[in-house]
Amino acid sequence: MKWINLILRLILGGIFLASAVAKIWNVQVNIDYRVQFSHVPDLATFAQNVTNYHVPPRSLANLVAITLPWIELLAGGLLVCGIWKRASAVVITALMIVFLAAIGWALAHGYDIRCGCFGTVDARKVGVMALAEDGLLLAMAVWLAWCLEDKPQQATETNP
Amino acid sequence: MRRTYQRALAIVFVGAALGLGANAVSPRRIPFLTPPPEPPKAQDMAALEDAEALWKNGTGFFFDARSPADYAAGHIAGAISLPMEEFDDHFSLIAPMLTPDAPIIAYCDGQECDLSRRLMVRLRELGYHNVRHLVNGWTAWHTAGLLTHTGGQP
Repeated sequence: MKWINLILRLILGGIFLASAVAKIWNVQVNIDYRVQFSHVPDLATFAQNVTNYHVPPRSLANLVAITLPWIELLAGGLLVCGIWKRASAVVITALMIVFLAAIGWALAHGYDIRCGCFGTVDARKVGVMALAEDGLLLAMAVWLAWCLEDKPQQATETNP
Repeated sequence: MRRTYQRALAIVFVGAALGLGANAVSPRRIPFLTPPPEPPKAQDMAALEDAEALWKNGTGFFFDARSPADYAAGHIAGAISLPMEEFDDHFSLIAPMLTPDAPIIAYCDGQECDLSRRLMVRLRELGYHNVRHLVNGWTAWHTAGLLTHTGGQP
């Protein structure tokens, strides 16, 4: 069980770290597989991706684009490092529910848009595949939020 | 359990604060609130007659900003597929054909479609100043009975 949780933590946290980095530094892979990225936080493209979802209110799309990748970065990083594991898993669970709702919204409205799941590094469109992948990630996050225990809490439980 | 939720909230707030801080100091910062969509400007829009004249003249470029699938289903004859969503992938192949003065018409479909305007803005950023967009381009073009083609990029 310990091993499974460790592997899941590394996978899920790693995915969140990678997707956060891709969004914040606008990582792009060219047609000839050259990787390009900005040396400073550059969220304009990701903000456009968020805006494309047309989830109201429109004016808050930038705020989401500014804050979301850093929350992902922090939660993913903590999960990988094993600090505040359970709280990180809870945050990731909440984020996955939001992502799934956004993808569902786009599919329900028939928007033909980029997922933006990994920022600009992947050109994938929103679709059933993205829904399935995010569903899998949500399952992993729920599992971890359920199984992991933060250390101090364990101590209080064992102490009479 | 309560402690977990407090920590989860802390992660969200610290993350959000980091994001706001990083954006504030970044030279490529974006505005805190999304600006409202720009109202269309008359000088940016090509009238159908102008587009048709340019097309007959044969000196201009027509860029289809829609998806490759929409392009294949039907496009202005001679138009080049340049999907706005995959701009970088496609533009590197097209750029060698263009001069900075080349007259360019970008189009997509529907009154609400923003792809062609965004394509125009992007091309202008790259230095192609003679770009306009044809509002509701595909519908306007084929309902006017002008020449169209089907199939993928030649």
